[in-house]
Amino acid sequence: MKIYVYGIIDSNKQVNEPVYGLEKARVYNIPFRDVGVVASDLAGPMPDVTEDSILAHEDVVESLMENFTVLPVKFLTVFDGKENILSVMENYYSDFKDNLNRLRNKVEFGIKVIWPGDKIKEHLIKTHKGGAQKVTASDGSPKKRFMKEKFEKYKIDKKFREKASKCINAMDVFFSKFAAQKKLEKLKTENLLLSAVYLVERDKQSDFREAFEHIRTARDDFRYLFSGPWPPYNFVILPRKSHPFKISEQAAMFDKVFHERNLVGADKT
Amino acid sequence: MIVNRVVETDFPEEFIEEIEKSQDSLPRKIDANPGNVEKGLAKLVLTLIELIRKLLEKQAMRRVEAGSLSEEEIERVGETLMKLENKMKELKEIFGLKDEELNLNLGPLGDLL
Repeated sequence: MKIYVYGIIDSNKQVNEPVYGLEKARVYNIPFRDVGVVASDLAGPMPDVTEDSILAHEDVVESLMENFTVLPVKFLTVFDGKENILSVMENYYSDFKDNLNRLRNKVEFGIKVIWPGDKIKEHLIKTHKGGAQKVTASDGSPKKRFMKEKFEKYKIDKKFREKASKCINAMDVFFSKFAAQKKLEKLKTENLLLSAVYLVERDKQSDFREAFEHIRTARDDFRYLFSGPWPPYNFVILPRKSHPFKISEQAAMFDKVFHERNLVGADKT
Repeated sequence: MIVNRVVETDFPEEFIEEIEKSQDSLPRKIDANPGNVEKGLAKLVLTLIELIRKLLEKQAMRRVEAGSLSEEEIERVGETLMKLENKMKELKEIFGLKDEELNLNLGPLGDLL
């Protein structure tokens, strides 16, 4: 019998309320020492990647989150039988336990910010003067002209990135006050100024939310996306050398879809 | 306490567009079917060459900025970088690849392009 896994929780007790997962199968807990692997039986072949199946997985993880600390497992993680699951648990128990302890009572929030990067860059190009003088021989050989052009572009990019860092730091100061951990990505595109995930203690969620509202009202030419609370997808740290959960090819292929679906509070690291 | 999850934005379309743009263009696997094995491999190899070229270019710009290159050195570096860029253009044309197809997510360093 194949077993579909949703996550690892900090309890070896059965899930009290009936929870149904993929293919509407009843979700149960496979106890291992003081933790558990939440799973459901998979009667047929690997489920298709559909919006329904993605949401079914996500719903189980989120319902677990209400009562337990959860280490969410990737979409479409399937094992051949309980023995294989227990074997993984045996090998990785201490890693899972460390993560569960670290993530207890914490949730993840995603924040994305779009700024008018294209316009800012345009403005920088227009106002950019000097800088390239160091290359001298302004009308020299094609090689020097090439270098001059490259250098000007380099200076503009540098200024652009500095401006971005300044904006991000100004926002991050507010969010970091209420976050235990964070992961920030700057300028994933010219306009996507910030893609961030913050790990926040449950009792600081409202404060975090308020900090966001404060930022949101500060600038009306910026666009904001706020999402959460999510299970801490981006803050589970497992040894990379041999990942315990090998996902199917299908899962790898559609991992992107899964993360987009999560609206991206949660960017994979 | 916030109980239910939220995804809040007044500009969903803009975010979808930017997120799509930010997705890696490098495939997770080399598409090595008999019809396009060359292109798949070329894309992978050219992406790596492009990475090295960009790093060289950045290093050169830093040295120009620091004023540590003489006029002759600037000219020599300029020639090298120019030839490298032209060669890359040729190779991209040969294999029918566009600039954005040679992007690479460098993790904390951001995207290559």
